[in-house]
Amino acid sequence: MPKLIIDNIEVEVPAGTNVLEAAKKVGVWIPHFCYHPALGSVGACRLCAMKFLEGPVKGVQMSCMVPAQDGMVVSTTDGEAARMRSLVIEWLMLNHPHDCPVCDEGGECLLQDYTVAGGHGIRRYRGKKRTFRNQDLGPYVEHEMNRCIECYRCVRFYQDFAGGTDLGVMANANRVYFGRFTDGALESPFSGNILDICPTGVYTDKTARFRARYWDYEMAPSVCPWCSLGCNTVPAARYRELLKTIARRNDAVNGWFICDRGRFTNAPVNDPARPHTPLLDGREASWDEALDVLVTRIGELNELYGEGSLAVVGSPRLSLEGCLLLPRLAELLATDTLCYFSSLEEGDRSAAAVSLLNGTNTASMADVGEADCIAIFECDLREEGPMMLLAVRQAWRKGAPVFLVGKNAPLEQARAISIEAIELSILEEAPLGIFERPVVICGTRHNSPAAIAELTHAGAKLAFLLPGPNAFGAALLSREQDCTSLTEAVAAGKVKGILAFEADIPTELLEGMALLAVADWRPTEAAKQAHIVLPTAAWTEMDGTFVNNEGRAQRFRKAMAPGLPLRGLPARYHASADKPVPLYPPRVHRREPPGGSLLPAWRLMAAIMERLGAERVEHPFTDAWESLRELDPDGEGVRVFELPQR
Amino acid sequence: MEQVLFRHNKPGRPVTFAEYCAEGGFAALHKALKELSPDDVQRAVIDSGLRGRGGAGFPTGKKWSFVPRDLPGPRYLICNCDEMEPGTYKDRALLEANPYSLVEGMVLAGYAIGVSHAFIFIRRGYELPAANLRHAIAEAKEAGLLGRNILGSGFSMEIDIHLSAGRYICGEETALMNALEGVRANPRAKPPFPAVKGLWGRPTVVNNVETLANVPYIVANGATRFKGLATTPEGSGMKLFCPSGHVRNTVCMELPLGMTLGEIIDGPCGGMLPGKKFKACIPGGASTPYFTADHFNVPMDFDAVAKAGSRLGTGGIVVFDEQTCMVGATLNLTQFFARESCGWCTPCREGLPYVREILTRIEAGGGEPEDIEILREHVHYLNYTFCALAPGAMGPVEGLLQLFEDEIREHITKRRCPFR
Repeated sequence: MPKLIIDNIEVEVPAGTNVLEAAKKVGVWIPHFCYHPALGSVGACRLCAMKFLEGPVKGVQMSCMVPAQDGMVVSTTDGEAARMRSLVIEWLMLNHPHDCPVCDEGGECLLQDYTVAGGHGIRRYRGKKRTFRNQDLGPYVEHEMNRCIECYRCVRFYQDFAGGTDLGVMANANRVYFGRFTDGALESPFSGNILDICPTGVYTDKTARFRARYWDYEMAPSVCPWCSLGCNTVPAARYRELLKTIARRNDAVNGWFICDRGRFTNAPVNDPARPHTPLLDGREASWDEALDVLVTRIGELNELYGEGSLAVVGSPRLSLEGCLLLPRLAELLATDTLCYFSSLEEGDRSAAAVSLLNGTNTASMADVGEADCIAIFECDLREEGPMMLLAVRQAWRKGAPVFLVGKNAPLEQARAISIEAIELSILEEAPLGIFERPVVICGTRHNSPAAIAELTHAGAKLAFLLPGPNAFGAALLSREQDCTSLTEAVAAGKVKGILAFEADIPTELLEGMALLAVADWRPTEAAKQAHIVLPTAAWTEMDGTFVNNEGRAQRFRKAMAPGLPLRGLPARYHASADKPVPLYPPRVHRREPPGGSLLPAWRLMAAIMERLGAERVEHPFTDAWESLRELDPDGEGVRVFELPQR
Repeated sequence: MEQVLFRHNKPGRPVTFAEYCAEGGFAALHKALKELSPDDVQRAVIDSGLRGRGGAGFPTGKKWSFVPRDLPGPRYLICNCDEMEPGTYKDRALLEANPYSLVEGMVLAGYAIGVSHAFIFIRRGYELPAANLRHAIAEAKEAGLLGRNILGSGFSMEIDIHLSAGRYICGEETALMNALEGVRANPRAKPPFPAVKGLWGRPTVVNNVETLANVPYIVANGATRFKGLATTPEGSGMKLFCPSGHVRNTVCMELPLGMTLGEIIDGPCGGMLPGKKFKACIPGGASTPYFTADHFNVPMDFDAVAKAGSRLGTGGIVVFDEQTCMVGATLNLTQFFARESCGWCTPCREGLPYVREILTRIEAGGGEPEDIEILREHVHYLNYTFCALAPGAMGPVEGLLQLFEDEIREHITKRRCPFR
């Protein structure tokens, strides 16, 4: 552990740490553009200059390029180093436009910050600014090359880190151009990350341009719901509209990045077809009335068909809080049909996967990235968990061979990240035994429960892709409660009514139901057919917990208030009794925003339970789960294997 | 005067393989492979005091000795023939006259370092040198002097020629290796140095054409004799000089290291053109600070030139007469460097166009007194770039500020170029 002195502060860092990071550790933030912890040091921007006074290197050096060593004495405030840094800013500003007020990056721009910080305010250069033609990079990424400061982060991420091939560097000198060979949509499934890592406004989110400044956003730490990997995100919303999603660092899960699916699937939250008020047989109703009618109709159902004719259905996208309350609700409703999975296959495969995993054999994405051999077993990671593919590439870059096993593991997924992969027909052909840290990545769309169970003998750590953000939690509880799938329950013929929470129920199971009550934030087919619709809050609109594919419970926070987005607000909400004409902007003051009375599914369950005479539910996390109440959304999460009493 | 590299030259045509052999060519290779161990060859080169002729002047034998001896796996030798330094044409002159001494020198170097695969990286546009080398390589192979089991010694080596796509930065050895690997020709961070981790991550030695072509003489005639060729005790060997500009003889000439600048200009260069008076010169290619008549007694050898505030560089001497505007000359050079920056690091990519803009303005009569301070600042801070391109590019600017500040001020006060 080298010890060094930075600005008179002694600091000890692990060997291999660069001086820039060492300074950061003691709170000395030195500006930098090209250096990025995930992409490494390349010494291109020359901004992180420090003066090395004592030690093996002397003079002004780029701190990102110098590994910390014993005996170093370093100054960041030295005049020559500071002048170098301010000159770098001046150089970068020779060509950078001066139009921050009309740049979408303004307010969250590193160049803007450092220009102010470095004190460069007067332009000495008298030449013209060089200009470029921008490219159309597809529906997600806007390109403004004039803003480029040539930190090379985008291509280092795109080509080196993510294996993309269609974005690169062209030309030389101060004509260096970052873009595609010709206009066209970026091909990498991770292209959106260049929005996050670009320190200026070259790449901005086309789906949210000029909708808000950074300080306008409602933001909170969150977890992506669009597959089972549980990548950490920051949803950014304004005026009840989810505008964009930003990657959030979690070294145990997604590292610094997220996939394009997670980043750009924001529209469902803003979907105008989303239910925002309770519906009784298609008619809007108050919450009181809706819950009364629900309880009455369940009573009628039980009278008509006998107790237990109601199925209470959860799902792999229901938060852990909801999954935990579901059995208590079912008990109160005196039904013995409690389902966490609608489809038989999903339920059985998820249960098989979860029953195999334990604290030692489960591979996180970080483990995959460090693996020395990887077998992708019967799955297409582009579909089942794109970020896992990025982890696979990191392992491959360090020399790990990658095997694609079975007919459902297409070679195209390897091509998407530009890795060489060996195709095998059966897992036994992969020489996992000769490696120290092999990982088998297994999908649950194509593998039978028996095939999944076989993996216990694979001699490798296991990473499963499950069918939803909380599929692990749902499968765990499904096993504890000894539940069947809805498919089986319906086939048994006893089920005459369904009370579903955020469940994607196949339409054939809905046929002939005497009562269909659906609580969901998405306008699913079941919600469209339901007699009673109880809208719930989306994950961005609530606090909750998901258990990801490796059993990691992660807390997400309410990032935005629920309600109908201001943009596209139906005319009736603009009007009031005395001013029937739609107004713009809406100036009608209400107690809550239109459609803003949404509750998280678990709170809705709690409300139903209270109506059924139960005590008020303080918190769904009790007994073995109680320690999760304190789960820190900014931490790495907690694996359920590590919970006390589990 | 004894010639080392030009001794086989034939007027108006390249030397033939038969002539080269008949005049003692490839004798060094025979001697080395039959009598000397690789260490002997390396020792001879170290003792000879041969210094890199590509511009930096690093001791060649020392560079070879950095290659790890017992590391298994391939190692590479690269001949740097990306001669793009303005004012320099020695490698072209050498290879157009005689490609064989380079081939022989490369086999000797390969033998000394334990290389079985060597590359010659040739500048775009050097078609004739490339053709000569292709020819020479084929002939050497035919004669068993290259390829498998050379002269029955058990030592094998192949040489491949790569004709570059052409950029000044490709002459920087790490950028050259990137270009050879087929990626963008950006320089690499050092350390690790190429001798440890170079081409395809393997130990690699990169030497200039002229450097390698000197090796046969050293092996054949001994280190002492080579060292004795120079006129100064600390110098060693001969050097190709490329005079250009306002002197009579502008052909590549092989001269002993240590001749003074004045001796070279007044002697082999034949003095100034009729009616011209010497004002200044670039002593060693475009990236070296100027010399004036005050420097006529500086011996043209690495250390002596460095002591006098410039660099021997490639030996490209560009001579300017009294009528030359030094601001204009510097601007011309800066335009080249600004255009040839690879675009990797900020000070070079943005700083050089900044300097270019200022010099353009001063030359056009729009200069301001504070521009001089900005130029001075660039001379200092462009030392902190990623590679040596920008510090080299600042060589002439540094010289301009040191020796011709009055001339700059005259531009600024008169608001025009006084030479027009």
